[in-house]
Amino acid sequence: MKKLIFIASTICLVILSIISCKDDLLDSPPYGQSTSATFWQSGEDVVAATNAIYEPLRDHDFYGHAEHTFSIVEDDQWRAGDHGEDQSIEELTFDPSNPQLASSWRFKYEVISRANAVLINAPEVEMDASLKDRSLGEAYFLRGFAYWRLHIIYGGTAIILEEDVLAGEYNKPKSTIAEMQAQIESDLLMATQLLPASHSGDDVGRVHSGSAWGLLSKLYMYMDRLNDAISAGNNVINGPYPLAENFADNFRIETENNPEMLFAVQALDGWAGTPHRIYTTPRPWGGWDFHEPTQNLVDEFEADDPRMDATLFIPGEMVDLGGDRGLTEYTSDLSQTGYHFQKFASWRSSGGLDDGQNVPILRAADVYLLVAEAKIRSGQNGDTELNEVRTRAGLSPITNATMTDVIHERRVELAGENQRHFDLMRWDKAGIVDIVSIYGEDRGQFDPPRNFDRNKHYYFAIPQREIDLSNGVLEQNQGY
Amino acid sequence: MKNLFTNQSLVLILMMCLIVPFIYAQERSVSGIVSDSNGEPLPGVSILIEGTTQGTTSDANGNYRLVIPDSENILIFSYVGYITERVVVGNQSEINISLLEDISQLEELVVVGYGTQQKRDVTGAISQVKGQDFENLPVASSSQALQGRAAGVQVVRNGGAPGSTGSIRIRGVGTINNADPLIIVDGFPGSSLDDVNPNDIESIEVLKDASASAIYGTRAANGVIIVTTKRGKTNENLKFSVNAYTGFSNAINTLDVLDAPTLAQLKRERFVNDGLPVDPIWEDPQYQIQRTDWQDELLDQGVTQNIDLSLRGGGESSSFNMALNYFNEEGMMKNSFFERFSFRLNSDHKINERLNIGQSLQLTSRKGNFLNTNSAQTGVLWSAIRFHPGLPVIDADGNYGSSQVSGEFGDINNPIFTVDTEDDQETRHRILGTLYAELEIIKDLKLRANFGIDGEIFDRDNYEVIIDNQIRARDRNSLTRSYSESYSLLSEYFLSYQKTFAEKHAVGFVGGYAAQTFDEEFFTARRMDFPTEADLQRYLDAGNTIDNATGNRYYDGLESWFARANYEYDSRYLLTVTFRADGSSRFDDGNKWGYFPSFSAGWRISEESFWNGGLISDLKLVGGWGELGNQNVERNQFLALIDNGERYSFGGQQTVGAAQSRIPNPDITWETVEMTNFGVEMGLLENQILANINYFIKDTKDMLLPVPVIGSQGRATVPDRNFGEMRNQGLELELSYRGNKGDLSYQISGNASFIQNEVTRLNAPFLETRRYGRPNEEIARIFPNEPLSPFYGWIADGLYQNASEISSDPSIANDPRNEAGLIQPGDVRFVDQNGDGLIDENDRTIIGDPNPDIVYGLNAGLNYKGFDLNLFFLGSAGHDIYNADRMQGIDPTYPFNMYAETTGRWTGQGTSNSIPRMTTRRDNLNHRTSTLFIENGGFFRMKNITLGYTIPSELTSRIGVSRARFYVSGQNVFTITDYSGIDPELGYVDGNLQLNVDYAQYPQARTWTFGTTIAF
Repeated sequence: MKKLIFIASTICLVILSIISCKDDLLDSPPYGQSTSATFWQSGEDVVAATNAIYEPLRDHDFYGHAEHTFSIVEDDQWRAGDHGEDQSIEELTFDPSNPQLASSWRFKYEVISRANAVLINAPEVEMDASLKDRSLGEAYFLRGFAYWRLHIIYGGTAIILEEDVLAGEYNKPKSTIAEMQAQIESDLLMATQLLPASHSGDDVGRVHSGSAWGLLSKLYMYMDRLNDAISAGNNVINGPYPLAENFADNFRIETENNPEMLFAVQALDGWAGTPHRIYTTPRPWGGWDFHEPTQNLVDEFEADDPRMDATLFIPGEMVDLGGDRGLTEYTSDLSQTGYHFQKFASWRSSGGLDDGQNVPILRAADVYLLVAEAKIRSGQNGDTELNEVRTRAGLSPITNATMTDVIHERRVELAGENQRHFDLMRWDKAGIVDIVSIYGEDRGQFDPPRNFDRNKHYYFAIPQREIDLSNGVLEQNQGY
Repeated sequence: MKNLFTNQSLVLILMMCLIVPFIYAQERSVSGIVSDSNGEPLPGVSILIEGTTQGTTSDANGNYRLVIPDSENILIFSYVGYITERVVVGNQSEINISLLEDISQLEELVVVGYGTQQKRDVTGAISQVKGQDFENLPVASSSQALQGRAAGVQVVRNGGAPGSTGSIRIRGVGTINNADPLIIVDGFPGSSLDDVNPNDIESIEVLKDASASAIYGTRAANGVIIVTTKRGKTNENLKFSVNAYTGFSNAINTLDVLDAPTLAQLKRERFVNDGLPVDPIWEDPQYQIQRTDWQDELLDQGVTQNIDLSLRGGGESSSFNMALNYFNEEGMMKNSFFERFSFRLNSDHKINERLNIGQSLQLTSRKGNFLNTNSAQTGVLWSAIRFHPGLPVIDADGNYGSSQVSGEFGDINNPIFTVDTEDDQETRHRILGTLYAELEIIKDLKLRANFGIDGEIFDRDNYEVIIDNQIRARDRNSLTRSYSESYSLLSEYFLSYQKTFAEKHAVGFVGGYAAQTFDEEFFTARRMDFPTEADLQRYLDAGNTIDNATGNRYYDGLESWFARANYEYDSRYLLTVTFRADGSSRFDDGNKWGYFPSFSAGWRISEESFWNGGLISDLKLVGGWGELGNQNVERNQFLALIDNGERYSFGGQQTVGAAQSRIPNPDITWETVEMTNFGVEMGLLENQILANINYFIKDTKDMLLPVPVIGSQGRATVPDRNFGEMRNQGLELELSYRGNKGDLSYQISGNASFIQNEVTRLNAPFLETRRYGRPNEEIARIFPNEPLSPFYGWIADGLYQNASEISSDPSIANDPRNEAGLIQPGDVRFVDQNGDGLIDENDRTIIGDPNPDIVYGLNAGLNYKGFDLNLFFLGSAGHDIYNADRMQGIDPTYPFNMYAETTGRWTGQGTSNSIPRMTTRRDNLNHRTSTLFIENGGFFRMKNITLGYTIPSELTSRIGVSRARFYVSGQNVFTITDYSGIDPELGYVDGNLQLNVDYAQYPQARTWTFGTTIAF
């Protein structure tokens, strides 16, 4: 009996010792993944982290589509498409729970979050100093840009900076508009100091100091700091950012990254594109038919303005759709208004929409017109800057240009590029236009009258989801 | 479609002509067949004429013949191990009888963790489902076999797609995370129920309370299901049997939608009502011709085929069971299929008096093609309901009909095009092998070692064709191949001891050690730009552009110590104590180990001397308490992860970026469930009626909750935190009755569960769940102090019938839309919950509860001579369905076809109070989430009816067949429900988070099956 127990317990012990010798049984290594403990070691890590700040721009829910929806309010475009919820945005009757208001919110903050990660970690990394400056400059610019979009769309929102990230503090109350503007200004000024004036080769498409000066110039216009807008804008006008020879070069894949393009969402066919090209093109041509230009916009073009042809598809125009379709006539039944934007799409020679079409965000021509406007509004002559834009388009120069000329020029030069609605609100606040009557006019089914309420509509509603989740910290905008 | 195995061998309908001999008995003689409850003939049964010594015994085929004197009228059938039967002869000349086995059900063995117990000694809550309860039914998967058969066990069917199985929930949904129970097949924890051929199952035990399941510690929080497969017995004759069936499935129901002329009429009415010019496409006569009923085109007849072969037997020291199964289902939705091949070999060997060894091996191959059926933007049934009925399947030019014609026709692809071109197949090969050795060290003390491997190879090929004439176009074709191999290895060693001292003290002990590892490696490769799309070219090499190649490895490890002790005094007082310590690699150092105790006690009142029996022949009270864990959460949440695959481009060159994809939570640990159970087990009328009543309270603590990511955090994943609490409490009833009268034997059983769920603690005012489709409508939220995921929205109070109702409604007195004249008669009147005179987000409230108050199953079996009839009903009551599909089904502002009921829309005062007017405008958001789309979800369904006939063995034995049974079976035969959608039996969506929301999922089918079982 004792012998048996001895044998049995020996067997047990032997077995237990065999299985217990695997003492890493309870360790699960993160195979194939980087963790923050192994990242931020080299300059390559910093550059990779900086590249990632740009990436959300491409997304459907940011400049891929959603960001453009804020512009359907304007008189230049009819929403078209089949997003039922767009109607109330176009007509300014939306609720804070409208899903289109919500989608891009967190993408802007994702840009901010990725920029903050670089701003927190890159300074400690040993690396090439100019590369480090460039990366920090890009992070400052992109964070400032994300706050800029939040600010012109929603007014004041939570400002999340490095110290908030380190403290895990994200549920913050709204900042005032002045605080937002100060933050954007500070980020963009840092970017002007850290970034090079231009890029070449494989870095074309990164932001540079010209991007920062251009956006600063625009910020100052929104702050009514006209002189600062002129001096910031002059850094662009006098910098290596000449207007492209042809207006249309800005919207052709081969030439879209010319020096005039201060900032654009970069797209590469077969690798990383955006769906904006699909949203702006006719359904039978492979598109989803949103953002149709209104007759009112078409009528705004001067008779001999070649920009009209470069901006729009006009019935009778022949378009090369590539592949089996080849040259195809654009006909008015492809659109409810009779037109489509041409700026944002092209077709591969083999057929199909080309995924390499960038989405323009800021062009030097925009900055020229801002400087012209600032000069005119501060009692100076803005002809030089305005006429640079006009003569590039092949139009005759204007002398003693007025705000009416600036308004006209911005409208036709920048049509479809998300400027008009925000310009109109800016000018309305400055007493230059009457947005209520512009939007109130009935120009037919595809440009219907809408009731712009100055107590409410200068800013969109903060997404209801964010109000709900903030537990009372985030307050809804006035009027909603 | 390529099948794994040829179909030709499946000739399933056997034609047999039978001549039933009629025996004209002039003299008073009686003959017949004696069989057991399975219809197997019983030889050697003693048949005695009551009051005499005259009699006979049945022969090898169960036949007997007896001459009876006129004075006698009663026969007594008796056989060891069977209940003796007394039969009045009267003027019958043929008496066929089946004898019931005389095991009192209370003495049956129940499988518990690491051992077995007699049912009478169990102090925990365990439900047992025997393989014989469903072996004669055509169930496609083992989880379906469990549906409705045990109280507290809910099998929720997630749609009716071929190969789709159910989600099993034991005692309610215990967590918002993975709430699947632990499945143990032949002793291997963590295996899958769906790889087990239902016909191979001997029994399924469901361990429901903490006392029964605590021995599985950190994986037992959601209950434990132990599957035991059939094994051979020593000294058993070789038995070969074949079971084959063929089934035909059809849609139970489709939705009535508008035809093309009516659709155009209603669409035009929208523009007229809004004072807008009518879009010319709705005037175009060519789109007003009814061409296609898209649901009919999509839903065809499905065919199911199944064949089982098994060989079983045993000699002096070895026994085995070998089984083969082939199952093939072509779904009623075009181009959806599933097939399964499985092989099993179980054997046991007695090496000597002390040592037994044995093994089980299960090989499974599964293959299927899966259609997208739950997206409310691209799902095929969703699309079929909405695609323009005036478009053809194929147009005159041979192209698929397309909605590209007009934005008014919506962003939907032709659903027939989609199913015809969808090529998304997955194959799984799985091996489950276990090996045991059991050594009797001394009498009553055994050492057992178990080793096992559970390996799976998963392979998915998803070929996407170029789509150029549909609105959701794809300019480049691609093939994505995903491949993974995973292995789990198990080793367990435990001692068990069982002894009774001094006749009254029965002691039992089980204790040991277990280690289990899980390894998975996978890769995904994708190429694009295939010059041709021919089947032969659908291989990666044929693609011109390498797009993507990713791959990785995962590892998990578990290490455990466990022990259970039982003590029983005089068969009256029972006590069980269990303890388990578990270490898990899913958590950081310091949080790896968890400890799970439990105890339970029972009192068999009917064994007390004061108990005088009577009506209640058996009575036992049990109670227990314990703690369980759930470690089934995403691994490595304590690490901050960086994603290196953020694609961008500069200078026309590919670039990748790296961004933090997860913020770490170093404190993460398992969820704990604390459960208390009280039960009464009763036997009535000599245990012919058995009743089992259990009440439980199950508290989940440290439930991992997603931290709601507020927008200002961006998009990185924020890991879960152990913060939530949830309570499930409920009552479970199980009743069964079996008896017989002459040739008729019957058994009836029923079970019902009344479970209440409540989320008791959250880290946020609410948690979000999936939103619906294009309008991105929020449907359900998780709130503290409410059951899981109630529907959340506005309360609708009919429609405004005229302008004065609008102008006098205080609910919208301050509403800017009202001031702007945007609310019109025929719009929905929403209730102003907060009384501020306008309808906005603050007026939302809880509008419905998806959780049933009661879920029940009813099962009845009848045997009469060679006939057997089995009925199975399933039902639930006391819950709501949110008919999300109808939300868009009657919404005229989206460019889709609408439900036929839309013809009953509001067109003027008094015309409708529930279907809003036609308009293109969404000012009043008539079709937002509201009570307008809440429906009563209760249903009562005849899940199955099976009628079988077994040919008398005296006939079949002549051709060497010991048993031949033919049957016909109907699945989902009828349903009683008020629900207006396609099917009220809706599963989960979004994990556990949404129940009973209708997204136009793959519906369940009505299936008629014809089959046969033949044993040699």
